[in-house]
Amino acid sequence: MGGPLMLFEVDRVHYRYQQQTALSDLSLNIAEGTRVALLGANGSGKSTLLRVLDGLYFADSGQVRFRGDELTEHMFAHDDFAYHFRRQVGLVFQNPDVQLFNPTVFDEVAFGPLQLRWSKSEVRDRVGDILDRLRIGNLRDRIPHRLSGGEKKRVALASVLVLDPAVLLLDEPTAALDPRSHSQLIDLLVEWGGGAKSVITATHDLRDLEDIADRCFVLDAGQLVAEGPPNEILRDAALLQRTNLVHAHRHRHGGEIHSHPHVHGSET
Amino acid sequence: MHIPDGYLSPATCAALYGGAAPFWYVALRRVRTALHTRLVPRLSLLAAFCFVIMMFNLPLPGGTTGHAVGIGVAAVVLGPWAAMLAISIALTIQALFFGDGGITAIGANCFNMAIVGSLIAYGVYRAIARRAPLNSARRVVAAGIAGYAGINIAALCAAIEFGIQPALYRDAAGAPLYCPYPLHIAIPAMMIGHLTVAGIAELFVSAGVVAFLQQSDPAMLRSTSGVAENLQAASSPAKALRPLWLGLGTLMILTPIGILAGGAAWGEWVASDYANPAARQQIAASSFHQLPPAQVPKGLERLSAVWTAPFAQYAPPYIKSRAFGYLLCAMFGVGLVMVGSFGAGWLLRSQERAREQAAGS
Amino acid sequence: MSGSHVQRRGFVQSTIDTLYAAISRVMYAETLARGEGLLQGIDPRVKLAGLLAWILAAALSSKLWVIAALLAVAVSLALFSRVPLSVLAPVWTSALLFTGAIAIPALFLTPGTTALDMPNVGWRITHQGLASAAYLITRVETSGTIALVLVFTTPWTHILKSMRILRVPVIIVVVLGMTLRYILLLLETAREMFESRKSRMVGTLTSRDQRRLAIHGGGVLIAKAFQLSGEVFLAMQARGFRGEVYVLDEFSMTQRDWAALSLFAMLAAGAAWAGR
Repeated sequence: MGGPLMLFEVDRVHYRYQQQTALSDLSLNIAEGTRVALLGANGSGKSTLLRVLDGLYFADSGQVRFRGDELTEHMFAHDDFAYHFRRQVGLVFQNPDVQLFNPTVFDEVAFGPLQLRWSKSEVRDRVGDILDRLRIGNLRDRIPHRLSGGEKKRVALASVLVLDPAVLLLDEPTAALDPRSHSQLIDLLVEWGGGAKSVITATHDLRDLEDIADRCFVLDAGQLVAEGPPNEILRDAALLQRTNLVHAHRHRHGGEIHSHPHVHGSET
Repeated sequence: MHIPDGYLSPATCAALYGGAAPFWYVALRRVRTALHTRLVPRLSLLAAFCFVIMMFNLPLPGGTTGHAVGIGVAAVVLGPWAAMLAISIALTIQALFFGDGGITAIGANCFNMAIVGSLIAYGVYRAIARRAPLNSARRVVAAGIAGYAGINIAALCAAIEFGIQPALYRDAAGAPLYCPYPLHIAIPAMMIGHLTVAGIAELFVSAGVVAFLQQSDPAMLRSTSGVAENLQAASSPAKALRPLWLGLGTLMILTPIGILAGGAAWGEWVASDYANPAARQQIAASSFHQLPPAQVPKGLERLSAVWTAPFAQYAPPYIKSRAFGYLLCAMFGVGLVMVGSFGAGWLLRSQERAREQAAGS
Repeated sequence: MSGSHVQRRGFVQSTIDTLYAAISRVMYAETLARGEGLLQGIDPRVKLAGLLAWILAAALSSKLWVIAALLAVAVSLALFSRVPLSVLAPVWTSALLFTGAIAIPALFLTPGTTALDMPNVGWRITHQGLASAAYLITRVETSGTIALVLVFTTPWTHILKSMRILRVPVIIVVVLGMTLRYILLLLETAREMFESRKSRMVGTLTSRDQRRLAIHGGGVLIAKAFQLSGEVFLAMQARGFRGEVYVLDEFSMTQRDWAALSLFAMLAAGAAWAGR
């Protein structure tokens, strides 16, 4: 392989979920410090891929490596590796009701640090800090049920950012947000990812693609169908139509698999 | 069914907390072994479900409505141990935050509905369903009867707890301090409502949800079905029935729990009041072997006569011991459930056999 | 179908109302508990222990005036803590109606000395029956009021954390918290489900249709609960959850809390002693 160590290496991964193929012979590499978009319509496998990258689902066959370490159930059985990995990689779920399972906003944000056994004073300081940075300090004692969609999203983000992960995985971060919350969130992501962080965003929303990603992977039916920089992907109207990223309702192909002339650089 | 504060003496409440504790402990251990790290979210969500289902006020045939507790659904989908934890948590939240059921009575309510109810419902379900396929009508029937049996036995427990109060706890003038009705009133009063309304609601919900899951998500019925893909994992029918025996056994042993736990109060009462002729008269009057005064409202009188008749006639006069009376009542109720569930099981079995023969010939 | 009963304000509407009432009750309690007031400023552990001790004292008492005194104290505490009568009154009346209905036959059924003869009907009210009904009703009202004071002056998240002082295991406290959080979500889900159903309804449903609707709702909810529990588990795992839970206890006792604690304890002990 040589070269710099990759952040994630996905190698011929198959994953089945309840008798349905979610990922099929998927291979891709993600370098350290890049901002990546996983593009695909609903059911294309991008959420599944995020969960595979976060060590929540494990491939049925094939390999997933994080900085050279293979992600297997066996590896996560070791406390050392699990804590190290969870500290480094954070995932924001699409559904904030799933992500916000604690009684209050403060408890929510403190959950991760407490699981990683930070000292209590450190937990308090860091939680207060991140709440202020995301401008949600006023929500501190609120119960999640009472928050608006945009507020929920921010709390979900805070609950992950509080660990200051080097890698951030985002599942449809702007789904179901009003336009104002949408642009605030994008600003926040751009600002946060400005450093040497890696951000991997799964989305079907092409609006802010160039702001949030340097590189895109297009998924369809659990397979990688294209890879390239955002402007190149956005120009390829045929690809976007074929993968239901635009005008989804007009393009039904009866599930038939087509040959894709635009497949770039599949790592075989 | 949710016993409020004030109906049961603190001693009875404490005894029922004590009675519930070992079940909670065992259930927590078993469920933890089964679910590992999934315990917290699974239990929380299912408790939340149990809570919400208790809010449904189900329209019943005949124009009445009834609340289901969800005992049948919980026991059939989760198995007895997870069900008793989930229902206990839902009941605790109802008592603490919604004023539904007393705080001192949390132990009692959990014991009746969550613990005894789940064990009975699960045992009845397995006894009737046997190894019927997941999508069989037999499982729907089994779930319905399981819910009906579970809630009625739970109500019987509550009735017995109510019924022992006036015998044990009275003030200086002989007025009952807590629930004023002795067993021969408390039991029919509780049971009529539960046998005819609440039990029917529970029956519909249990059977209906199982039928719904058979269509939409049969996998959810697999873990408690006894029909596993690999035979090793399938528990033998005898083992599956253990919760039923456990539930019935505990029920019978713990029925006179008020006496056991309230030993001090009982003793005091005897010591201080037996010497006093007026008090003795009241005690005699409140004994449940004697019919209430003639001024009793007519309907209640008839009911209680029906209820006490078999005991009054067949219990030898020297069996004046209350403990024995309670045991007798408990065994009577338990016997009804057993006869009912095994009768239903036998009927279904013979029907199936007849069908098989018809198909075979 | 013709014989089945048709309800005007049927299952769907009444269930929506119940669900809505439950959600708004929690929300309103939360608002009051986070507001200003006498009890709001006191450490939740003190309130939990103190008020539970009162409920116990009320349960133990065999003197009516002691229970009534506890009720009076609880009511004044509620008013000083800005819990309005509009919250208390419905609780009182519903407890009175429910327990009252249960207590009335006891007036006649309890053996004892005659208080009132009703020769026309041939019924007899006894002193013991009156006392017994009074015990039951005052106890129910008192415990209900105290429990209400606790919930309406203390955010439920604080009540749960305070349960640690009652030696409730951490895991149960965490499960209770998560349960309450998802009760609100499932209540909302159920409400939306029935509301969307109602918007498509033409005319009234028969009792049988309503029952089917309710059962269908139950099935959808339990499937949803399972699915959510799996997702929540992943979300917990993603943030380092390994099966053990760790929580932050944030309470600290001030002088006022100690004073309140001793007052609570004295009153509970006094009531228990007087009510022997």
